[in-house]
Amino acid sequence: MDKNAKAARNKKIRHALMLVLLVVLFLLFIFPFILVIINVFKEKADITTDPLALIGAHGFTLENFPEAMEKMEFWKVFGNSAIITICSTIFTLLLSSMTAFVIVRNNWKLTGLLFGLMIASMVIPFQVLMIPLVSLYGGIFGILNHRATLIFMHVGFSLSMATFMFHGAIKTNVPISLEEAATIDGCTRWQTYWKVVFPLLKPTIATVAIIDAMAFWNDYLLPSLVLAKKELYTIPIATQMFYGTFSTDLGLIMAALLLAMLPILILYLFLQRFIVEGVTSGAVK
Amino acid sequence: MNTNSMSYKSKQYIMFAGITTLVFVAVVIAPFIYGLYLTFTSWDGVSRDKPFVGLANYVATFQDSAFWAALGRTFFYSIIAVILVNVVAFILAYLVTRGVKGQNFFRAGFFIPNLIGGIVLGYVWKFVFNRALVAIGESLSVGALSTSWLSTPNGAMACLIIVAVWQYAGYMMLIYVAGFMSVSNDVLEAAKIDGCTDFQTIVHISVPLMVSSFVQCLFLTITRCFMVYDVNLSLTKGEPFNSSVMAAMHVYNQAFTYKNYGTGQAEALVLFIVCAVVGVLQVYIGKKAEVSA
Amino acid sequence: MKLKKLAAVSLAAMMTLSLAACGGSGDEGGAESGGTAITIFNSKMEIQDQFEEVAEKYTEATGVDVEVYYSSDTVAAHLATKYSSNDPYTLSMVDAKDVYNLAEEHAVDLSDQEWVSQTPYAITINDKVVGFPLCVEARGLIYNADAIEAITGTPFDPAQYQTLDAFKGLLDQLVAGGMESPTGVLKEDWSMAGHYLPQVYEEQADPDAFVTGLTEGTVDLANDPKYNSLMETFETLMDYNYAKDSAISAEREVTSQKLAEGEIAFMFGGNWDWAVLSAYDYSDNMGIMPVPQNTDDGTNTKLVGGGSKYFFIDSSENTTDEQRQAAKDFLNWLVSDPEGNAFLTDDCQLVPAYSNISADNLDPLGTSVKFYADAGNLIPNYNFLPDDHYAVLGAKMQEYLAGQIDRTQFAQDIVDYWKTAQVIPH
Repeated sequence: MDKNAKAARNKKIRHALMLVLLVVLFLLFIFPFILVIINVFKEKADITTDPLALIGAHGFTLENFPEAMEKMEFWKVFGNSAIITICSTIFTLLLSSMTAFVIVRNNWKLTGLLFGLMIASMVIPFQVLMIPLVSLYGGIFGILNHRATLIFMHVGFSLSMATFMFHGAIKTNVPISLEEAATIDGCTRWQTYWKVVFPLLKPTIATVAIIDAMAFWNDYLLPSLVLAKKELYTIPIATQMFYGTFSTDLGLIMAALLLAMLPILILYLFLQRFIVEGVTSGAVK
Repeated sequence: MNTNSMSYKSKQYIMFAGITTLVFVAVVIAPFIYGLYLTFTSWDGVSRDKPFVGLANYVATFQDSAFWAALGRTFFYSIIAVILVNVVAFILAYLVTRGVKGQNFFRAGFFIPNLIGGIVLGYVWKFVFNRALVAIGESLSVGALSTSWLSTPNGAMACLIIVAVWQYAGYMMLIYVAGFMSVSNDVLEAAKIDGCTDFQTIVHISVPLMVSSFVQCLFLTITRCFMVYDVNLSLTKGEPFNSSVMAAMHVYNQAFTYKNYGTGQAEALVLFIVCAVVGVLQVYIGKKAEVSA
Repeated sequence: MKLKKLAAVSLAAMMTLSLAACGGSGDEGGAESGGTAITIFNSKMEIQDQFEEVAEKYTEATGVDVEVYYSSDTVAAHLATKYSSNDPYTLSMVDAKDVYNLAEEHAVDLSDQEWVSQTPYAITINDKVVGFPLCVEARGLIYNADAIEAITGTPFDPAQYQTLDAFKGLLDQLVAGGMESPTGVLKEDWSMAGHYLPQVYEEQADPDAFVTGLTEGTVDLANDPKYNSLMETFETLMDYNYAKDSAISAEREVTSQKLAEGEIAFMFGGNWDWAVLSAYDYSDNMGIMPVPQNTDDGTNTKLVGGGSKYFFIDSSENTTDEQRQAAKDFLNWLVSDPEGNAFLTDDCQLVPAYSNISADNLDPLGTSVKFYADAGNLIPNYNFLPDDHYAVLGAKMQEYLAGQIDRTQFAQDIVDYWKTAQVIPH
């Protein structure tokens, strides 16, 4: 009894220490964001004069928000970003998890080649593909300036990484015995995949979904090459328009940053709960 | 059912990986091959002619000392950054899987840096290093802080590494968290009953079972560090005195700023080969570890 | 089963969605008016807002749909992607050196246009006028007269400080009067090796011959009087720099704010700097003066500059003749229509490059530039520097600014650079 009490007390102390450590680390991690938030309510001159002051010499201002929203045409670009991000993420998840499955479970030459090429392609700097890509799709096929083209390319570029992550997950978290049991029950490979394997991948699906959705949401270079028309602009392109070699309006930029971050932050907080749930419910026994 | 027949194999392959192969080849492989062709031309990026010049661009690559300097610098940066990112990420993952109050909140928090694109993030940190830290240093009269770290070559390198850790640690933490949680509780409890301390449990039970997480994280951090561009551009822009120009940035400048498109593309290819070798080597070693674990 | 259904449904839903998105994204722009649609690439960030507004007005008035684009990428990289994808802008605004690179293959001959006779700054290649100058810009030393007069107590007359000796005297007077460090130096590579250093070439009697000499290795730069005179002045600016110890991390925004608010009195720059200066509590009593030098060749009475930002019209088959005509009309509208003029001089505060355009409400820096330009006191830009000049020598000049190399070493670095560099053919 006494021993248990002692252990419990030790545990409490340890948790308290960990909590303190976590809080300190957390503050370090969000320090730059705090800077963004306190500066978004200031005028440009005040930001340059004293970035750390809570309220600038010219007082508190909310003007940065409506101005940034108007200049970005926030709702339009938000809609574009949302469609592109959602479509690209779902396609990537479905295609890459299926591909990873066939790669992990079959040791064929073709699967090996595909996986090898995918891994190798992950280290191709995007700048290398940039010009050839637009030459092919703009110059030869002439299909730039469509959201569908961008979705297609987003999926193409993110498949490798996603397949790689599902590859690891299927290998370690999906016991082959479960699949064998399903086969004995008369399931085809296709049915086995959707009934047995896919549900077990939930934590990885959530992780890949977050990572890819974010990458799509934030991507600037590829969308700026594919979507050259104003009515197709995404949030990063619109945000980037504030930057220039010769002039910057920090207050507006801070507001645009915050606006660009909020949707993905909300999505993340939502999926974050799902990860935990997925991990506990789908745990391998 | 003959699972070894060609028709079974191709049917399975097409069913599960057909679309993937198509998209992947169309978006990545085809442009890559076209890019390869461009390395044999002296194209400037805008002209209509693409004169064929054979291997001249590769010769230029080997003679470009600035490129090799940038590559060496990238190696140095990557090694330090990869180690620090993974150490920090592992510690974070450990801390947020111990059942501390609000651990979900912390997981969310540490991941926040990933929510912002590299360009923007670099500008925010530039603001921190150049202004905020200097302001703090002046008010507390800490000598080391009173001039911006970005003004010396070593300081700029340190800044790049700090930002890399800050940027990627939360991301890698997620993968390690998944790893920690995939280690079944039965095993851990068994270890506890056998009298293992927490530290021993981690080193002897969790870590070996998490090899695939390590392989993933290392691969991701290595490739990302090797190809760093966005943060490099917005945080240091290669300054001071081009002492912080990383390989990808040099390639970009060579192709577009200096308009030697073919040479830039050839240098990019060399960078790609170096990355590929390092990546494959690391995955290979990781796989061996996985098998033996 | 449930999951499979879910997957199938969501897949189908996504397909439809993206198809719908695709259908909706097609050719919305321009077609609805039935008129011509042209695209304009603007590479001058600070006028993007005004440009978009004027484009809307222009569309309303003429029925020609005008869309204005800006890219934060470098001009060369951005245009390269546009040309690769067969989707060039009808009208592109680029720097002078880009015109020399691009015009031969991509630009339309504008020799027959009316505005050609109204400007001395148009770019002509192979006897064809191809570049339409947007404005005049010039470099020199920007001063804040209020800040100076507050200490000296007498009206500031830049003409009294043309020599470095006189200028140094003034700086010392300012320091004695309480302004601890009266100057600021922009450490950006484009400012140092794109704007300051080229003066060494531009202020030679024959810049072309001088640069040719550099490429042939026949110039003794370390003993060149112009190089030494300009660097002497640069070192003075360094000595009195408010950020002397951390010159290499001084930010443009901060330096500009200090100048605008009178904390410092001088900074090397050009009239484009007004866009930054005017964001702060600025003084109207500012201007640009020639860089002081101990010389009697007259260069210390002139600013360096000329036409800046050139439009060219795309000549490829991706642009129709109607679009080309519409683009020509737009350029003519800028020069000869009162509203076009107002856009240039009032909205954008640009110093006009055309003799028929009057400009009375320019910002203080523009007023200075116009004053020197009207009096014929501009030393022309040298527009043929290689693309990597500002980046490579910018890095070297930063070392010089940080005190890591001396003037002789810097001269040697410049000479070394030119051993392999080639000027843009012109």
